[in-house]
Amino acid sequence: MQAVECEFESEVLTAVLQSRWPERTDAALRAHVAGCAICSDVAAVAGVIENAREDMQADVAVPDSGRVWWLARVRARREAAKAAARPITATQLIAGACAVGLLGACFGATSAWFQSALRGVGVTLVEFDWAGELIAHGALILGMAAVLFLVPVAAWLAMRRE
Amino acid sequence: MFRDATFTDVDRLAASDACTGFVMDEDTFRAFYDRTARGVWAYLARVTGDRQMADDFLQETFYRFLRADATHDSEAHRRNSLYRIATNLARDARRRSLLRPTANVAGHDIEGVTAGDRPGAAERSADFSRAMSRLKPRERAMLWLAYAEGASHREIADVLGVRPGSLKSLLFRARHKLAGLLAGRESKHAGR
Repeated sequence: MQAVECEFESEVLTAVLQSRWPERTDAALRAHVAGCAICSDVAAVAGVIENAREDMQADVAVPDSGRVWWLARVRARREAAKAAARPITATQLIAGACAVGLLGACFGATSAWFQSALRGVGVTLVEFDWAGELIAHGALILGMAAVLFLVPVAAWLAMRRE
Repeated sequence: MFRDATFTDVDRLAASDACTGFVMDEDTFRAFYDRTARGVWAYLARVTGDRQMADDFLQETFYRFLRADATHDSEAHRRNSLYRIATNLARDARRRSLLRPTANVAGHDIEGVTAGDRPGAAERSADFSRAMSRLKPRERAMLWLAYAEGASHREIADVLGVRPGSLKSLLFRARHKLAGLLAGRESKHAGR
């Protein structure tokens, strides 16, 4: 099995990070690195990455810590307010549906025209040839049922993701 | 994104209230941020290869860190959590870019913006950026954590979510590949 680490690896790394590599390192370590694939890779890579880190950190301008803290607090408050508003919205929806149902019931109970129309629909439904229609327009009915089921499911999934 | 947030007077008043759900108070956070932000930015810039993305993800990383329901028993533990969040953000962005290749997620290349004023820095930075861009994101992250951040194998494994037992060989391969690319040898494993 190929070796993936060497006992001198950390010594080489330290020499590179302390800018002692290769001139101010003892000859024995230099000789080892010349013949060790692992240590020569460490020597080649560590110094370059360290230089890149120094260059980047010298040039980068990160936002001020106070600004980051401030923005985080504002965002946390917004998210908390949004989360708190969610149950209220659901309650309002249910209350709205109840109100519409109640209004409908009142209208149905008081309107003679509505009651006669309802009876007509009831008679039609009783006399309707369900089996025949289902056989004749089965695919269409199934398609409509699927749409009626899929649309609310898709809406629910989209809202849940948000 | 987050840094484009605007404030209303209500927001300002709301934000001045006692803040709940953060893992540390303002003074602790600011000191921690001042110690770590540059390092996290450099890590994000190297892993994503995009400085604009690094700017955005830096704030997101610290926000998620503040909101995380976690207890940290040491500075090292805190730093690991921070880098883990940064790693996940970069990984998610990469997945999104793979799913939606038309979305330009790497429009602000890191190459050439990190040169500094030192002699030969521009060329050195360009060579290094080119070589790093030929590595896989996980290899870039691994090498940066090991040699720029001085993280231990266990810490790197924790941040990247790989088994500690596999890390040595993964790091060996990534290092060998980068050394080859820097030396002008084309590695047969190179490429994303």
